[in-house]
Amino acid sequence: MVKRNAWRIQKSVIIALFFRELNMRFSSGRMGLFWTFFEPFFQILIFVLIKIALFGKNSSDFDFAVFLALNFTAFNLFKNIVLKSINAFKANKALFLYKQVKPIDTIIARVMVEIFITVIIIIIFLAIGLYFNFNIAIKDISMVTFGFLLLITFSFSLALFLSVLNIFMDSVSKLVGFSMTALMFGSAIFYTIDMLPLKVQTILLYNPLIHLMEMIHGFYFLTLDDTYVNYNYILLWTFSFLYIGLWFYIKLEKRIIST
Amino acid sequence: MIELKNVTKYFQTKKGKNYILKDVTFSIPSDINIGILGRNGAGKSTLMRMLGQIEFPNRGKITTDKSFSWPLGLSGGFVGNMTGKANVKFVCRLYGKKPQEIKKIIEFVKDFSELKNYFDMPIRTYSSGMKGRLSFGLSLAFDFDYMLIDETLSVGDARFKKKSKEALLKKIESCNILLVSHDMNTLEELCEAGIVVNNGEMVYFKKIADAIEEYNKINKKVK
Repeated sequence: MVKRNAWRIQKSVIIALFFRELNMRFSSGRMGLFWTFFEPFFQILIFVLIKIALFGKNSSDFDFAVFLALNFTAFNLFKNIVLKSINAFKANKALFLYKQVKPIDTIIARVMVEIFITVIIIIIFLAIGLYFNFNIAIKDISMVTFGFLLLITFSFSLALFLSVLNIFMDSVSKLVGFSMTALMFGSAIFYTIDMLPLKVQTILLYNPLIHLMEMIHGFYFLTLDDTYVNYNYILLWTFSFLYIGLWFYIKLEKRIIST
Repeated sequence: MIELKNVTKYFQTKKGKNYILKDVTFSIPSDINIGILGRNGAGKSTLMRMLGQIEFPNRGKITTDKSFSWPLGLSGGFVGNMTGKANVKFVCRLYGKKPQEIKKIIEFVKDFSELKNYFDMPIRTYSSGMKGRLSFGLSLAFDFDYMLIDETLSVGDARFKKKSKEALLKKIESCNILLVSHDMNTLEELCEAGIVVNNGEMVYFKKIADAIEEYNKINKKVK
């Protein structure tokens, strides 16, 4: 057998896992696939209707539907990366039979699948926006992209940290499931932070995710900005999770493989 | 050459440590087919998994310049929702095979496993015999220095068993096997040397017949 170097081995493992994950998604019944792509539409529809019912049609100086589409896309990406990765070790246990498959590869592959699905959703949204004449103009496309990259890094770091924690404590994945709902309301998804009273602002700004969301929509809409975003705060959380997660992962890798 | 250096492996049980290997230093010669014998729970499969680098010693080191297959058991790592073909493709990708090679391997496995239409059906619709045939066919499609076999020779009906034994005999012309088995006839037929695992120790026998004799002695003592 030809000897391959470590990077090439890991590359082929991640590619193999990526296609396997995609195949699993698409072969697990049509309804699963349907919801993957239509869940964001229903979320947006519901919140647009609530907003119209409460505040009437034109109460903000940006297109609210576009605002929701952007925020839910970003939030769902975060949510799915974390929720799907947290069970990756357990779900792929049988694959550790192949010695080149390292547990962290299964997380990387799942993150890549989520990114792939999100790209498709973004394309669908853009197509719909163009067709129905929504105002989808982007103020600063490179900063929005950078915001998404930061969000992905943050999500991956948190996901790795939680997956390692999940080895010791079974209830971690349940708790994370609950906290997602709280995070959805506390992360500036259907409002911007300057709409809120000062007291609530101070509390919510402890949530690193709200900084990421404010950054992404701050650079998307002409009428919004990133005044409230503390970039160091985002990086502090990201690298803390990444560092602790990796540290424990390296210590525990063998245990994850053989148990 | 496979070298074990001060290898200790144990499993923690409620009543203390259960030793599989206790400070074993040992080198297994290359280019020879070796049978691994031992009573149930003596640690044959664990030894196999350690050689396949998916189980790790508590202390000590195992070094080798040889490549090892995954431990061939029944249907490890298949996804129930995916077709047999998709599963085979996945393993090919894991080993970094190019598209043309993948095509060839898929053809070979389809042909060997005799799954016909089932090859394009989800694995969850397979019987256990069909899964075994698929995984055996798959393992034959790759080239390693050593194949680690954990009693997988008995899949399928009598005819398929004969076919797989012939295929394996042909395969070991170009590679070696480490075989865990309780079937003494198979061991004698396929292996030249033997290792007996017992009470945290490994003993190597140049002739498989001697290993079998030792194994029988151990069994008598227990009775």
